[in-house]
Amino acid sequence: MNSIRYKISGVTYSVLQAANCNFRPALLQCRLYSGPTSFPDYFRNPIFSKEEQAKLIEFNELSKLASTPVKPPGVSETSSVYYDPLVNKVINHVMKMGNKNLARQIVEKAFENVKRLQIERYHLASTPEEKEKVILNPKDILHKAIENCRPLLQLLPIKRGGITYQVPGPITEKRSLFLAIKWLLEATNDKERTIHFPEQFAWELLDAANNTGKVVKRKQDLHRQCEANRAYAHYRWQ
Amino acid sequence: MLSRNIRFLSRRYSQALTFRTSEASPTQQNENQIGLFYTMNNDLCKQLFSHGGLPKSFTKQAKTFTETALMVRHPALDVINCIKATDLNKPAVRYVLYGEKGTGKSLTLAHLLHFAYEDGFLIVHIPWVSEWLRRVPRHKEMSNSQSREGLVDIPLDAAAWLLHFKMQNQVLLKSGDLKISQEYVWSKREKTDAGAPLAELVEHGITRVKYACDVIDVLIKEIKLLSNSKKCKTFVAIDGFNSFFYPLTRLRTTTKKKVTPEEVSLTAPFMNITKNDWSNGVIVLTTDQLAVPADRQENYLPKYLLYQKGFEHLDPFVPVEIGRYTEREFMSCANYYRDRLWLRGPPELESELKLTSACNPYDFMELCAPL
Repeated sequence: MNSIRYKISGVTYSVLQAANCNFRPALLQCRLYSGPTSFPDYFRNPIFSKEEQAKLIEFNELSKLASTPVKPPGVSETSSVYYDPLVNKVINHVMKMGNKNLARQIVEKAFENVKRLQIERYHLASTPEEKEKVILNPKDILHKAIENCRPLLQLLPIKRGGITYQVPGPITEKRSLFLAIKWLLEATNDKERTIHFPEQFAWELLDAANNTGKVVKRKQDLHRQCEANRAYAHYRWQ
Repeated sequence: MLSRNIRFLSRRYSQALTFRTSEASPTQQNENQIGLFYTMNNDLCKQLFSHGGLPKSFTKQAKTFTETALMVRHPALDVINCIKATDLNKPAVRYVLYGEKGTGKSLTLAHLLHFAYEDGFLIVHIPWVSEWLRRVPRHKEMSNSQSREGLVDIPLDAAAWLLHFKMQNQVLLKSGDLKISQEYVWSKREKTDAGAPLAELVEHGITRVKYACDVIDVLIKEIKLLSNSKKCKTFVAIDGFNSFFYPLTRLRTTTKKKVTPEEVSLTAPFMNITKNDWSNGVIVLTTDQLAVPADRQENYLPKYLLYQKGFEHLDPFVPVEIGRYTEREFMSCANYYRDRLWLRGPPELESELKLTSACNPYDFMELCAPL
């Protein structure tokens, strides 16, 4: 019985469960897709983008995947041309109380503002070389801004001899991404009451993409602090 | 066979690429230009639409695109051809533009206004009726009418409209052929003589805001008389006309009494000019779901939006439906957006956007915004 259950995918499983309430195993926690945690860790992540699917077919890996259970993709994970995982991430950071619709709206509004500002700048530029330098795609701006905001080091509080030292150390990719997005949003929310989020976020993105502004300064401050505390670095392993 | 295919393909390709027409005068446009964009002269645009007339989102777009370009569409061309073919000595024909939200009723009206300007009509244009009846900013100027008992004046809006009228008809008003027929006494010291030019009347309304509503009333009557006597031909364009027939406005008098549209003194003159008891004129109206509150937005057909009363008031009229984009219009619009840097990315994007926007022009514009 168990062996069968592991082979069928998530969707079929829930259908089965809906059809027959007695068919409920104690081992498997199935909460009808409330989140990715409701699937055991041997469930594979879904592959929903068309390019990746094409790659799978090219390398003949599709037949291998056919027998493994796969999580269903989230509602926002689509195979649309303009789907971007990073944008999705930022939207999730902006979201409050699960109101993703609103979060998506204001992030897209910010993109629109970025685009308008950049198109205006494009028209103002006099020579073709200058025009070429203007990045018009708001998603490229976002990618560049986050790349510029990512810290390379972090400070960890470590207690030695009753004193807590701020010890510099390396940072993981994931955490640096988290910090970059968090700082961008903190800088955005630090604004006048009369200015709306989309406008301020657009300005912050453009500033960060240009390697200037509050967030980049914050990153540089952190780096400077790490440099100053390099004497404590050995506390990481001693 | 092969060469024919290639020719066919190349023709399709070239069609996909052309999205502009150099024919900037609506009087000259014909069926060949359907789906193509023409650019409006900036000065003319300022003259016709500086006090409203183009939707807000479109003006924003025009600023980003650094030009005001309108698409030549089938309904507008139809109405233009009808107007050209009409015998103006017969009673004025009424056209009602209707359609779903965001399909371009206001922009079609703007196109027709451009045509009317080129063709030498005297333009009587209300950019958006709800601006008077439904929009209540913190300090809306309201007063009881002096001349007509029980009516409410909105003098500031009236004066703004007179300014709009003056701006749109600069050329005709300056020529001075238009004279008023009788003497009007405003107060002990102020009066307008019979035979004074129309511009003087308008000027009086703008400088003496208190009398602006009465001036509009008189002005409309005079315009009707002038048109009847063939001194000028008149083009009446009213956007969101159905707002006049919604049972209540959002205005309140100082005694907190709710005001119906009939009690606003500006309603009567425009009801008067939309009747067909005069000649030498064309009347184009739009009925819009957005002009009335959400409880009256279930349907976009004129009979529902105008209520029985409005429908009887306008009957008989020529209904003109403004539809969504056709295949060709959509491709031309997408190409225009690509040219103006508004749309970017792989060519699959168009088919996806077409599906998600369902070819609705406004939705398409909105969906392109964050890309």
